[in-house]
Amino acid sequence: MRKLLALILLISLSGLALPGAVANAQQQRRTPAQAETLIRNATILTVSHGTLQNSDILIRGGKIAAVGANLSVPAGARVIDATGKYVMPGIIDCHSHTMIDAVNEFSYSVTSMVRVRDVLNPTDVDIYRELAGGTTVANLLHGSANAIGGQNTVVKLKYGRPAEDFVFPGAPPGIKFALGENPKRSHFPPVAGQPRRYPSTRMGVEEVIRDAFVRARDYKRTWDEYRAALARGEKSLIAPRRDLQLEPLVEVLEGKRLVHAHSYRADEILMLINLAEEFGFKVRTFQHALEAYKVAPEIARHGAGASIFADSWGYKIEAFDAIPYNGAILTRAGVNVSVNSDSNERARRLNIDAAKLMKYGDLSEEEALKTITLNPAWQLGIDNRVGSVDVGKDADLVVWNGHPFSVYSRVETTLIDGEVFFDRQQDLARREELERERARLERDEANRPPATGATTPSAPRLRGRAQDRDDAERLGGDNH
Amino acid sequence: MLTLHLRRFAALTALAAFLAAAHPVSFVASASQQGAGIDTYAITNARIVTVSGPTIERGTVVIRDGLIAAVGPNVPAPPDARIIDGAGLTVYPGLIDSNTSLAIAQPTPTGRGASPGSPAAPEAANFSSPNSTQPPGLQPELLASDLIRAGGETLESARSAGITAALTAPREGILAGQSALINLAGDTPQQMIVRSPVALHIGFTPLRTGVYPASLMGVFSALRQMFLDAGRYVEAQAAYERAPRGRRRPEQDKSLAALIPALRREMPVVMYANTEREIERALDLAREFNLRAIIAGGEEAWRVTARLKESGAPVLLSLNFPRRTSAIVPEADPDPLRVLRARADAPKTAGRLAAARVPFAFQSGSMSSMADFLSNAAKTVEQGLSREEAVRALTLRPAEILGVADRLGSIEVGKIANLTITRGDLFDRQMRVSQVFIDGRPVELKSVTRTAGAAIASGTWTLSVDLGEGPQAVTLTLQQEGERLRGSLQGALGSAQIANASIGAGGDIRFTAPVNVSGLTTEANFTGTIIGNEMRGQVAVVGRAPGSFTGTRPGGGPTAPPQRATPPQPDAVSSRSTGEAGANNLTGTWTITYDVGGQAVPGTLTLRQQGNTLTGTIQSSFGSSEIANGSAGPEGFRFTTTETVQGRTVEITITGTASGNTLRGTATSQLGTMAFTGTRPPEQ
Repeated sequence: MRKLLALILLISLSGLALPGAVANAQQQRRTPAQAETLIRNATILTVSHGTLQNSDILIRGGKIAAVGANLSVPAGARVIDATGKYVMPGIIDCHSHTMIDAVNEFSYSVTSMVRVRDVLNPTDVDIYRELAGGTTVANLLHGSANAIGGQNTVVKLKYGRPAEDFVFPGAPPGIKFALGENPKRSHFPPVAGQPRRYPSTRMGVEEVIRDAFVRARDYKRTWDEYRAALARGEKSLIAPRRDLQLEPLVEVLEGKRLVHAHSYRADEILMLINLAEEFGFKVRTFQHALEAYKVAPEIARHGAGASIFADSWGYKIEAFDAIPYNGAILTRAGVNVSVNSDSNERARRLNIDAAKLMKYGDLSEEEALKTITLNPAWQLGIDNRVGSVDVGKDADLVVWNGHPFSVYSRVETTLIDGEVFFDRQQDLARREELERERARLERDEANRPPATGATTPSAPRLRGRAQDRDDAERLGGDNH
Repeated sequence: MLTLHLRRFAALTALAAFLAAAHPVSFVASASQQGAGIDTYAITNARIVTVSGPTIERGTVVIRDGLIAAVGPNVPAPPDARIIDGAGLTVYPGLIDSNTSLAIAQPTPTGRGASPGSPAAPEAANFSSPNSTQPPGLQPELLASDLIRAGGETLESARSAGITAALTAPREGILAGQSALINLAGDTPQQMIVRSPVALHIGFTPLRTGVYPASLMGVFSALRQMFLDAGRYVEAQAAYERAPRGRRRPEQDKSLAALIPALRREMPVVMYANTEREIERALDLAREFNLRAIIAGGEEAWRVTARLKESGAPVLLSLNFPRRTSAIVPEADPDPLRVLRARADAPKTAGRLAAARVPFAFQSGSMSSMADFLSNAAKTVEQGLSREEAVRALTLRPAEILGVADRLGSIEVGKIANLTITRGDLFDRQMRVSQVFIDGRPVELKSVTRTAGAAIASGTWTLSVDLGEGPQAVTLTLQQEGERLRGSLQGALGSAQIANASIGAGGDIRFTAPVNVSGLTTEANFTGTIIGNEMRGQVAVVGRAPGSFTGTRPGGGPTAPPQRATPPQPDAVSSRSTGEAGANNLTGTWTITYDVGGQAVPGTLTLRQQGNTLTGTIQSSFGSSEIANGSAGPEGFRFTTTETVQGRTVEITITGTASGNTLRGTATSQLGTMAFTGTRPPEQ
């Protein structure tokens, strides 16, 4: 019974698909955010300018309109009393595979033509679970099966909305690269009937990336020449073929697309820095980067960020040299550091992973908070919009019943653009109703087991936590 | 090239028109011999639902030369007409199934039978287009009209459900090919075609061969690149045609050429999409390339009515409603609330689309038993769709959506004489399809037309079996699918799956099962009759005097809630391992052969049995996957596997029995049931 209750809780959503209300989903989409909201008397962890005691936040039009003590309540405003509670900016997860119906396009070593945007699943219940952990923004990345993977999408976790509402407006486009064991397919047998995919060494990974950028440079030149010819007034020209694989790489060369590179070892990190500088682009983040502490000054000089785990290692050979002080060493070397999840489960408790950086290497509270807010915002190019409690920024806010770095604290309310997308009290209130709905639905003929011969009872199907994530189903672990 | 292509297109259309025109003249004999030589019929005194006009409560339809010659309340029957007294009958326009793979054989694998001595598989009919620039699955140039074959059981069962015409397209692939609208009778494919090509068909299932695109993301990228390339192909060909001198000749590419009518909106694009997000993705793609989208499937179409209206995309709504496939009680294996809601909501979609004025037509959606076609349509009426709209969605609406409303879809003078004649209203439980006319000819129907709604055998029966040693109590669990029965026996005679089980029109049932008599396991042959909630009959056991059995079904018949499966007692499984399958460990690599409509399709089944738990993989041209929920016991083995077919995840349940190094069983999914046999090398 408890399991049933838990299930109902997990499945509950923000009031959209209630029975009877047929047109609900489409109607609710048009409901505008409540004009004004005042969060009152909170301890505010601004991240950008310290902690404010007994202070208020005024939200207007989805933005933070004012921050300070004793703000007046505008007429008609919703008031959230946060006395004794903590408010922080919404958590930003810089490495996620939540809510996507496909993670890897395994076939080629360069799959820059594929787009995570095409396969968003806005009904993934993991979104709701992450909201309940205070996460509001996620960088949805292609998997790490390819030296150059697909195009990412940055989303706000607006659970209950259609996919297009999730896409973070104005977030710069990005792309996934991957170095080391995954792209060289160390752990993966070849597909039956297919030759083993090139490359199978780190040398080969470098060559694949270099070759792709040589081709991208040629492709750009072809288009530049065509445009120049057009400009000269030449007639009866046929435009060059548009190549969806090379277009995003041209954008990388032009600095218009951010590179998020899955990496482990120091040598491959240096390799990609050198290669990028050879072609004149910058790597925006090294993802995972377990050995980044060995080359922290080089990463800082290149200007890349590092998006890491707090303490997770030893799950494969290239993960043996990790240390929990990675984040602190990188931070002290001047590298922008974020802590990411790469896991639907860990994405519900990034606050605790950030807190670990205070234990290992003595980051300050604000430095640790930045690793899940302002720093990942910079890594995704959205730090002008989110990541701190500042006037003018998006009202992506989390109300906690205690300090978010305490394991005893939990999220009370999560807001995105000033709208409530998770509220603990509402959730509790709806559980009974959902249980009744479940009981009613289970009596429906379509939901009854078929009247077939007896079958041996099997264990309840467990939803594969890491299933279909970043090769994880074959690693048997999380998504690194 | 543009002109070239247009010319080809025009030629095809002309050919189709020619065939349609020539049809009545060249028509020699229909599938049924009863109508040979006669081409004029008058159905008198019938209720006539014209669909295009008001219903005629009592009137006459005259058919001549394959066409509807007259219709009305006071139309006289021509003197040369064969008169059919329609008193008590209702005449509808012939029903149209708006999306099928009817008359198209399933692609069979390349290569030969896996083991020497086994029958060689038919040579590669994997719907591969010769000299294509694209891999199979991305070949839009494939034409259904080239692939259809006349005759066969699937056409018969569709006709028995009252269906007279259907859109048909290849089943597999991302760019699966171009569909044809066919009449479901005719001696040759050429006679059957009403219009071809009708639409380009896009499924969003990744290629299974490991080549690009191997993921859903890749599917969209590959489609995008091909549509872009097709657009450029037009330009390049046109430029070359204008001035070939001094210009390098662009390469011919019939795959890209086949996309051009879709890019020009001359040909609609049927896109397979069921969930809200699948539909939105399909509409996004249609918007990006300005395609005329038709959504096929549409289970959650009611959630996106605004976008459907905005884009003008009609829906070919599947009547193959989702339902729980796990036989385990919900408490032990709960479904997410979202899934429960979706299943309960599926029959409401039609009514909601009608209310939102989104045009839709019904399709069978690869349902396993065509008997569900009209009974599920009736469910949409129970869930809020008006009867008029429901009839329309089976007749005129599909004709309109598929561009044949000028010749099919209503009872009007001059249209093709496809008629579905019923006793009782189309959506009444007691309704029977009494006659079908296709191209003006009556078509013989199979005797058992509808066993659905009358799945009279399903349920849990309490039997008393007397084999000469006094009555013994046995529980018989039956599930009926059409004429097939599945189920198990449990109790005093041991526990076993029944085999060779079927039910006839009069409620006659037969099945065999291994039973345990006097300490020996032997085959027993049950024959009997079901009347209501009672059954009785004889049991024949080799070497014994004939026995008898009687049975009752507590709690009523098919209208009662389906009986929950009773899990066998774990100790019963281990202690009664006298059955030959029980002592038989299934571990090993089995070479299996599916029987797909008489064709042998080879596969490999790798099993590992530990106790009663079965794990392993199954591999064939249908795909390759891990098995799940695997169990093996004295009553046989059972496991499930999932395949993705046309964007829809299909759960396949495989049950069977093994004896020594041979096994046999069936694979059942919503797409149908296949028998298979298998062997493994003796040394294992």
